[in-house]
Amino acid sequence: MLRKKTCIAMLLAGGQGSRLGILTKNVAKPAVPYGGKYRIIDFPLSNCTNSGIDTVGVLTQYQPLELNAYIGSGAPWDLDISNGGVFVLPPYQKGKSGEWYRGTANAIYQNMAFIEQYHPDYVLILSGDHIYKMDYNAMLDYHISHGADATIAVREVPWEEASRFGIMNTDPDGKIVEFEEKPQNPKSNKASMGVYIFTWEKLRHYLTEDEADKNSSNDFGKNIIPNMLRDKQVLVAYDFNGYWKDVGTIESLWEANMDLIDNPMPMNMHDKKWRIYSKNPGMPPHYISEGAVVTDTLITEGCEVYGKVNHSVLFAGVVVEEGADIEYSVVMPGSIIKRGAIVRRSIVAENATVGAGSIIGEDSGNIAVIGQGVTLPAGVSVPSGTQVDESYTF
Amino acid sequence: MKDVMGIIYTGENDARLRELTIIRAIAALPVAGRFRVIDFLVSSMVNGGMKNIGVIMQKNYHSLMDHLGSGKEWDLHGKTNGLHILPPFLTRENVGLYPGVLDGLRSNTDYLNRSKQELVVLSNSNIIYNAHFKDMIAFYENTGADITLMYTKDPTMKRDEFGTYISLDEEGNVKDIEVEPTHPNYENTFMQVCLMKREFLKELVDKAVAHGLHDLARDLLLKLVQEKQAKVNAFEYTGVCWNIDSVQSYFKFNMDILKPEIRKRLFIDELPVFTKVRDEMPAFYSAESHSINSLVADGCQIEGKIENSVLFRGVRVAPNAHVKNCIIMQDGQVQEGAYIENCILDKQTVIKKNTKLIGPEAYPIVIAKNVVI
Repeated sequence: MLRKKTCIAMLLAGGQGSRLGILTKNVAKPAVPYGGKYRIIDFPLSNCTNSGIDTVGVLTQYQPLELNAYIGSGAPWDLDISNGGVFVLPPYQKGKSGEWYRGTANAIYQNMAFIEQYHPDYVLILSGDHIYKMDYNAMLDYHISHGADATIAVREVPWEEASRFGIMNTDPDGKIVEFEEKPQNPKSNKASMGVYIFTWEKLRHYLTEDEADKNSSNDFGKNIIPNMLRDKQVLVAYDFNGYWKDVGTIESLWEANMDLIDNPMPMNMHDKKWRIYSKNPGMPPHYISEGAVVTDTLITEGCEVYGKVNHSVLFAGVVVEEGADIEYSVVMPGSIIKRGAIVRRSIVAENATVGAGSIIGEDSGNIAVIGQGVTLPAGVSVPSGTQVDESYTF
Repeated sequence: MKDVMGIIYTGENDARLRELTIIRAIAALPVAGRFRVIDFLVSSMVNGGMKNIGVIMQKNYHSLMDHLGSGKEWDLHGKTNGLHILPPFLTRENVGLYPGVLDGLRSNTDYLNRSKQELVVLSNSNIIYNAHFKDMIAFYENTGADITLMYTKDPTMKRDEFGTYISLDEEGNVKDIEVEPTHPNYENTFMQVCLMKREFLKELVDKAVAHGLHDLARDLLLKLVQEKQAKVNAFEYTGVCWNIDSVQSYFKFNMDILKPEIRKRLFIDELPVFTKVRDEMPAFYSAESHSINSLVADGCQIEGKIENSVLFRGVRVAPNAHVKNCIIMQDGQVQEGAYIENCILDKQTVIKKNTKLIGPEAYPIVIAKNVVI
């Protein structure tokens, strides 16, 4: 039998992230590279470790290979321990039945046996969609001290954007009185961050009840939370004021990368007490050559820069050849920008090659994207907002 | 494939590295922006299929132990085999300091006995190289030697009284060995790496120490060759290598790897070099920064000017500061308006505002760890 845990985390990593276009064609959204050396999932996993939560179930479903390989034993996040650690949980056959995860609540329901192994008092539900640093332990303290059955992390968003979010209407004590999914006329600007802590006994009850309801969409926001409110359970909002960025679209992923170049940074990534861990590719430091010009840029290990880079983020092992010119762009691991190529407001995915003299993106307009492993011929141009994969013809 | 183990001896003479080795062994010396000298050896051995590696520690080994840890970064944390840290201890024959490699090995007879591998690679820790050990092992097997030495024809390794040189006959067998001659007669530098059967090494070490011998090349190998007691041949290493035994050679190594063609020969795709990770964010270059011909590690914040330099993790160069031909180790700080040239800054040093520090090219200034100037 496994030893009891006070709180374990369940990370919902099964979504396709279709709004990220060709960036999630071969990988699940949480495995999408971000910030020069990270993947999105590094943030919730590092937050768990830094918050003292050492047991994490990662629920996968869509294109899991790269994500599974990335998580591995969990060693980069100190989650390779014998009592707990990180577990990849794909859907599996049970008795004569077997099915995919039908919704966020159903995904947790299907893994109740996993949770029960640890007899937790509380379960933290996370998603792999956001960039943020958060102390889940402080949130757990809040949950306990408020005698809550569920605590939902909320963040104030600009009023004009509130109708895009799940909005929590609270009383003066922070108790949630109403939950509205994407309301047309929002009464509050406190948006759910998709981070929940439940008292496990209560959640187990509501998951079981929800599963029996054939008309349910088996979703936390649409079903579990409203059902708990209906039954007058204690639901409280936990305010979070730090940096929090949704990276669900190509534009927002690009913006979140650009945020890291702001001086001062909106999120302190140099904090030694709250490091963001990632799997390390084991490369030498990056090299800036004699003729290179590098300004306002983040560069990581293994890069070789011979050209010009301004206001951009270069991931591990990127090569920028002589005369290449990159501005306001994100170049993911292993990609090569050949001689004289011009890259503007673009995302170049992993292991792509931009041919000599090619022009990618424009100074304004939507972000251009070059897909994973795509080799662009020399001298082509890719207009803003275009997504180029293997099947693209010039 | 043959089962091979590795033993690294870290007790070399480090007097000419001055302040750099007061607090650490040569093996633990930070190099190339994010590595330690020993990373190249351990990674080479692991990439060559070795799963049992012993590191014989000598003095100031805390920093080395801290770096190697459980051996996890090199996948050496398994249940069987793995990384074995072998600190000196008091025994009947030994009072802590080993006079030579042979004494270090004698003290660790138990480890040699306990190991199960048929062959053993023995290496010193002051030469940086990245070898295909699988080729050397195949050479040893095919030639039926008792001992195979690794050597290089690299002329920069010929450093007179600080080296050991060998001559070979047509079949590649070792004819003679010169240990630290003022005027070497041979072009082949012995890289202080050799390969033999574990049982044979045990036998040799036992006999040698019983006869009061200490040094591997001078006392043991030379005798074996001269008296034709064993078939000793040599395998040529054709890659890049550096002997890190003085401030100048340490400086030269770091400056050499600024050259892309040399870096490519040391950091080989199929022979990756692993090290302890620190999880720093990528390096940041401000809009006003100016950087040329430099190697920069993660966590650096460059707001001033850097040229021909190697910056380790977490180094900060403030606006209007200028760093030229320097090596700055982990967390070093160069404040506003400071100018430093031909300097080696050990970990966590601070060069305060407007300070000027110019060393001669041939004799770089070394600033010891934690010093504030």
